[in-house]
Amino acid sequence: MRLPSPYSGVFRGGSTARTGPHALPLARIKKIMKRSARDGSGGDSAGARMISCEAPVVFSSACELFVAELTRAAWDSTLEGRRRTVHAEDVAAAVRDTNVFDFLVDVVKARPSDDGVSAGDGEGSVAPAVGVHGGMQG
Amino acid sequence: MSEAVGTPESGGAKEQERFLPIANIGRIMRRGVPENGKIAKDAKESIQECVSEFISFITSEASDKCMKEKRKTINGDDLIWSMGTLGFEDYVEPLKLYLKLYRE
Repeated sequence: MRLPSPYSGVFRGGSTARTGPHALPLARIKKIMKRSARDGSGGDSAGARMISCEAPVVFSSACELFVAELTRAAWDSTLEGRRRTVHAEDVAAAVRDTNVFDFLVDVVKARPSDDGVSAGDGEGSVAPAVGVHGGMQG
Repeated sequence: MSEAVGTPESGGAKEQERFLPIANIGRIMRRGVPENGKIAKDAKESIQECVSEFISFITSEASDKCMKEKRKTINGDDLIWSMGTLGFEDYVEPLKLYLKLYRE
């Protein structure tokens, strides 16, 4: 009789995946992947890609690394502001200050903060880059 | 809660499927701040969106690679390669090891 490996629960997803070694739901990861595998390569069916079973497993771990790294960078911004609560503006600052997070510039900018202040404005924040609001230049 | 059919973008349920659960995100975030640190809800929501963008970003690159190589299936190696190409070199070795253990 084959004994279940620690990873055998990944195919079932749901609560098994939650209690297994993966902190993030694999089925949801796969859904998000399917959106971009379809849309990211021209939008037609020729761009549709199948996704192997192991791919969401890799992302489960990669996303943990990503969240941890981005959070730590945001915490640096929190400390600079002499605060102890990480806010969305700290995440935005981390994105601005780290080259590898350049692809997130539009994502963090699109979010209005809870108190109605427009994105990019905060206590002592740097001035927004020219041309960002009106679309990309060049 | 019923799912909206016919209009993919309408309804809160469909909207949330674009993101990973905020509770899971919050738990991982907590590891990145010290004991005395707190995390506001808007920060969790922001990172929730960033993670989905990260998945899309890497998947698009991996998808393009597969297309160029005339392969139909995106596998773990494609994702790891894409991360290395897009600036996440630090993730490559730990993920390679993780994938190796998974395959065993």
